[in-house]
Amino acid sequence: MLRVRDLAVGYGAEPVIEGVNLEVASGKFVSLVGPSGSGKTSILRAVSGLLTPRSGGIELNGSRESLGFLFQDDALLPWRTARENVALGLRIRKLPTKAAESEADAWLARLGLGGFGERFPHELSGGQRKRVAIAQILALKPKLLLMDEPFASLDAIVRTRITQELLNWVEREHLSVLLVTHDLEEALTVSDTVYLLSQGPRARILASYNVAIPRPRDIFASRKHPNFAPLLERLWNDMSGAMNGAEFEAQR
Amino acid sequence: MNRYLENVAVRRVLAMVLLASAWEVLSRIGVINPFYAPAPSEILRVVFSLFIEGTIYNHLEATFVAALAGLVIGLALGIFLGFAAALVPLVADVLEPIMLLLNAIPRVILAPLFVIWLGIEISSKIALAVVLVAVLIFFAVYNGIKDVNQLFVDRVRTLGGGRLVLLREVYVPSVTAWVLGSLKVAVGFAFTGACVGEFVAATRGLGYLLQFAQSTYNAALTMGLIFLIMGFVLVLFFCAEVVERWLLRWRYRGTDRRVT
Repeated sequence: MLRVRDLAVGYGAEPVIEGVNLEVASGKFVSLVGPSGSGKTSILRAVSGLLTPRSGGIELNGSRESLGFLFQDDALLPWRTARENVALGLRIRKLPTKAAESEADAWLARLGLGGFGERFPHELSGGQRKRVAIAQILALKPKLLLMDEPFASLDAIVRTRITQELLNWVEREHLSVLLVTHDLEEALTVSDTVYLLSQGPRARILASYNVAIPRPRDIFASRKHPNFAPLLERLWNDMSGAMNGAEFEAQR
Repeated sequence: MNRYLENVAVRRVLAMVLLASAWEVLSRIGVINPFYAPAPSEILRVVFSLFIEGTIYNHLEATFVAALAGLVIGLALGIFLGFAAALVPLVADVLEPIMLLLNAIPRVILAPLFVIWLGIEISSKIALAVVLVAVLIFFAVYNGIKDVNQLFVDRVRTLGGGRLVLLREVYVPSVTAWVLGSLKVAVGFAFTGACVGEFVAATRGLGYLLQFAQSTYNAALTMGLIFLIMGFVLVLFFCAEVVERWLLRWRYRGTDRRVT
């Protein structure tokens, strides 16, 4: 679905990431973890086309229209109602306004927000706004979801609930996902593969971890799987080494 | 009584009535010289007589037409130039220094030049009002676009939106709040332009009438005209607020059911 080859991205003189290689196979859930400043978000921005890479290649199976980007912030337009926000992407894709809005209503209802279409973002709770943002992306039927710590700002209960719902949806629809997160447990709970990035600048992929926990997954049950704890311990130690800048030796 | 005094509007009206009453009494008993500050009743009498005799309407029309035309043209020009400068760097390179200079100087000093170029009729007053309003609105739009939340731009771009969609969905709504924030000041500027222009050289208008009142040392007429202009500007302020609340209704709606 997505192949990133020798990617280098930077804002100033020195590249934030350099020589990054990763792959998201069709229907697979992949996470990127790493210390702050390791360029995780920059990789997502480059893949989405928001950032022009300095070098390297991004191969997508399909056009950029097959991408859906869920930001850390819900990024809903405050002057548009929930319905209009969800319908925006559909209208951009030339669906007539009426059809786009009725499709938006259906998506809001699917995400438990039936009857909230007329509300502006400031009239919704953090969790409801996040659901609107998810509806906005899913309504476009993406094949690959890019997610930049989308639920970090939510409280634990809402966060767990929305993560599980989205995970169910991803598994049912066989979507591919590239998730950026600081939360190692979350990464292992939802992913098939986890990539660890080194400290930036010139961050690179230090190691990849195969998460052998069967699907469909329940995010509580996954944590009790026998493979979970050893993998978490390994990832934790490797991440600590990466943060301390120690010479990294992955024990694969 | 105390319950009524808790209302800000009641307290303000009461304070104004008290001030006007004190002024009236002090003027009548000779503590205040009516030559410099005539009693409020005398000012009211002069203003009413202007309306009853019908002499004011010709002047009102001249000032209102100049101010409103200046406001509308100034708004349109400021918005257009602000968008052009913010979206086309080449335009910004040329416009920014000119606008900064125009913003730095007291722009009413251009009034004599406009009289020389456009004559003493209404066009020179409109031109001054346009310059006063356009520079103000230019900076509101220019800074508004530069301050647009990049997150919204990224959101629309990742949904597949191009420049036109960005303009319609992000830039115009973002800038609307900035422009509306400056609208009340722009109303005041438009009247300043019209009145100062009339003050410099004109055959009619409230500024011309003010100039006449000053040259004849008619303090009652001068103060009456000042209060009259203030009253009209306040009415336009109210209209600007109604427009603002309508255009930014999304901001005002539903604050009672905000959830955290």
